Amino acid sequence: MKLYLYGIIDSSDEITDSIYGLEGSGVYNIPFCDIGAVVSQISQPIQNVTEGAVLEHEVVVEKLMANSTVLPVRFGTIIDGRDSLLSMMQSYYKNFKDNLARLHNKLEFGIKVIWPADKVKANIIKVLKKDGQKTLQSDNSPSKRFVEGKFEEYKIGKEFDAKADKFIKVMDIFFGRFAAEKKLVKLKTENLLLDAVYLVEKDKQNDFREAFEHIKSGPPGLKYLFSGPWPAYNFVILPKKSGLLTDSQKTDLLGKVIQDQMLVGANSI
Amino acid sequence: MIANALVETESPEEFVEEIQKAQDCLPKKIDANPKTVEKGLAKLVLTLIELIRKLLEKQAMRRVEAGSLSDEEIENVGETLMKLENKMDELKGIFGLKDEELNLNLGPLGDLM
Repeated sequence: MKLYLYGIIDSSDEITDSIYGLEGSGVYNIPFCDIGAVVSQISQPIQNVTEGAVLEHEVVVEKLMANSTVLPVRFGTIIDGRDSLLSMMQSYYKNFKDNLARLHNKLEFGIKVIWPADKVKANIIKVLKKDGQKTLQSDNSPSKRFVEGKFEEYKIGKEFDAKADKFIKVMDIFFGRFAAEKKLVKLKTENLLLDAVYLVEKDKQNDFREAFEHIKSGPPGLKYLFSGPWPAYNFVILPKKSGLLTDSQKTDLLGKVIQDQMLVGANSI
Repeated sequence: MIANALVETESPEEFVEEIQKAQDCLPKKIDANPKTVEKGLAKLVLTLIELIRKLLEKQAMRRVEAGSLSDEEIENVGETLMKLENKMDELKGIFGLKDEELNLNLGPLGDLM
């Protein structure tokens, strides 16, 4: 029987709570030295990433978080059997221990910010037009007119980027002071100004939350999404060859969970 | 089944749309099955050409901004960039590719463009 892996925890003890995972199978801990791999049995590979399956995975990891430090592994990680799992644990034991020590007592929070890109650009164009500085002496040559057009686009893009940097810097002052680590992605789309994840110590999570409440009353036109506390999906550092976790896979899973959560609720989604 | 993690926003639809948009513009792999191998390869090659074209264009704009190009050089740069852009449009048309398709997800490194 194959094993579905949810995460690595900092305990080799048996899981006493009744936790059920994918296919409704009981979740248990397979110890290796002083850590453990939390798994459930699975009959077949996962063909499609469904909302239900992603949430089942997430719920198991969140339950584990209540009593342990967890290194969540990517959704859909299936190991051939107990021997393969123990062999993998042996190979990455030191790495797992380092990550568990680094992430102990820490939680992940996500902050996403949407800004009105069209309005920001329109304002930039207005200001540039007001300045009225023509850098090129445009004659009737199509080549020069082409360069002139491109140069206008370049100036707008540059100013747009600078404005994004400025906003992000301010926001990061609010959140960054409560974070042990952070990852910020600017302008994933023109409207998605910031997609950030912060690793926050458990005893600072209320401060982090308050910082969010505070920033919401900031500049008008910005829209915010706060999420967490999550397992530290984006802060586990493992060799790529381990196949357990990569940045893009983590982000995909978290994005999927956020979207799924949004679709099932309204207010506190 | 709902996870305990809180997701709070006053604009859920807008965030779903933007997350979806961000994911849609990232092809997970090059499509190289026997039926579409030509388009898959064209997409890869054109993505790389587009990257180089954009780098050239940006560098040219930096030089225009710095005022380090003579009139004649601006004329030449403009003609070259225009021809490159037209050729790219032509090639994209031949292979039925849109601008947003010319990108690659480089995993932990992010997007190519």
